[in-house]
Amino acid sequence: MPTSALVSAVIETAANKILALDPDSVARMASLKGARLIAYVDPLPFAVVLVFSEQVDVLALHEPFQDTVATLNHKDCCIKTSLDTLPELKHINQLTRLIQQNKLQVEGELAVAQQVSGLFQQLDIDVEELLAAKTNDVVAHQAMSWFSAVKRKATGALSEFNKVASNALIEEKQIAAPKLAVLHFSDEVNALRDDAARLDARLLQLEQKSI
Amino acid sequence: MSDNHNNTSPTEASDAPTTHFGFKQVEKNQKASLVANVFDSVAAKYDVMNDLMSMGVHRLWKRFAIDCSGVRAGQKVLDIAGGTGDLTAKFSRLVGPTGNVTLADINLSMLKVGRDKLRDRGLVSNIDYVQADAEALPFPDNHFDVVTMAFGLRNVTEKQNALNSIYRVLKPGGRLLVLEFSKPTSEQLSKLYDTYSFHILPKMGQLVANDAESYQYLAESIRMHPDQETLKGMFETAGFDQCDYQNLTGGIVALHRGYKF
Repeated sequence: MPTSALVSAVIETAANKILALDPDSVARMASLKGARLIAYVDPLPFAVVLVFSEQVDVLALHEPFQDTVATLNHKDCCIKTSLDTLPELKHINQLTRLIQQNKLQVEGELAVAQQVSGLFQQLDIDVEELLAAKTNDVVAHQAMSWFSAVKRKATGALSEFNKVASNALIEEKQIAAPKLAVLHFSDEVNALRDDAARLDARLLQLEQKSI
Repeated sequence: MSDNHNNTSPTEASDAPTTHFGFKQVEKNQKASLVANVFDSVAAKYDVMNDLMSMGVHRLWKRFAIDCSGVRAGQKVLDIAGGTGDLTAKFSRLVGPTGNVTLADINLSMLKVGRDKLRDRGLVSNIDYVQADAEALPFPDNHFDVVTMAFGLRNVTEKQNALNSIYRVLKPGGRLLVLEFSKPTSEQLSKLYDTYSFHILPKMGQLVANDAESYQYLAESIRMHPDQETLKGMFETAGFDQCDYQNLTGGIVALHRGYKF
């Protein structure tokens, strides 16, 4: 079975299902019509191509990055990055930093990548509305209220657990160091590094004088 | 992908040139009409049977063929034996409003099912429907950027004529992709596949399409189709360059690719 076809099928189905949940995504996608975003994501052995029309079509591309770049047209954007860097691409203002750090390579129309990022980030999915369409308003509202309450309680319980665990580790068992001690230790390490650097520079000066 | 036939009558002691129709020998000039009968019969259940028989994997095989087509916006694509339009639907979106897709099939019933399906999906603006014989394509020379043929070549009487005809209509630089059943690469898979094809498939056809004989023919026609290397040689004979093939699902299906330079 062609694995790349399976991967692209899963991405395509997921992307279109998610976009369909927000009615406004149709309007946002209009500006992307005819555009292609080609992503080489290490360690995937193939590139993923998103082609925008009334929907998103996802293809797997088995060509090297340079060959693809040579055939880009004015509505194409080709990026090369790694799976680790992918979450950072959400922050468009970080793109320059990532490019400077060689974590991201961009060829073609950067605006396409920015618009695609925006398309998914601006998704506003009204889960209660969707649930109401399948059941009814009362059931949907009750379910969402119950879910919110459970979420709130779970968050509270998790926060409480963190506090208890932190106290136990730092104060009672003294397995972990308190935050202030870690900061103090870091400062001392920094000071030592500066002293070492100064001593190194002084030694170098002395060596040069003796010569 | 699925085949069918109604009341086939193999020729008896005739001097006319013959060809295979499944495991039977028929007169060459009969095969086209026999295959036409097959597809007239299965057109309505074609998609359902494909999903059932392949357990949905045919969608991945076709998707892989599209991935390998390299189709771009503005290009002209010919989908021969396009059947119910699985490939055409995707190509239509990929080539966009400035491109064009021609869905060609020798069988009018299949073409009608494909046309209705695509129109129901709102795909109308850049698709032409042409009833055409792959052996004598009614298109100008050097016309298409990409030609595809998925699960159609084995039903053509003179396969070499079809490849020659495709070569003629392709533009220089264009590519042909043929997706077709082939020979499994492992002996064990081959045995398993034979059991499935000759024992389970006809029963499935009987159950769903009320036609076991048709699906017996499907299994037979696959066995009569040239293997990977033979088909690659036929590509080269037609004039294609850089011919290669990729086995899918252990060689049950192979995707052959050739370029016209």
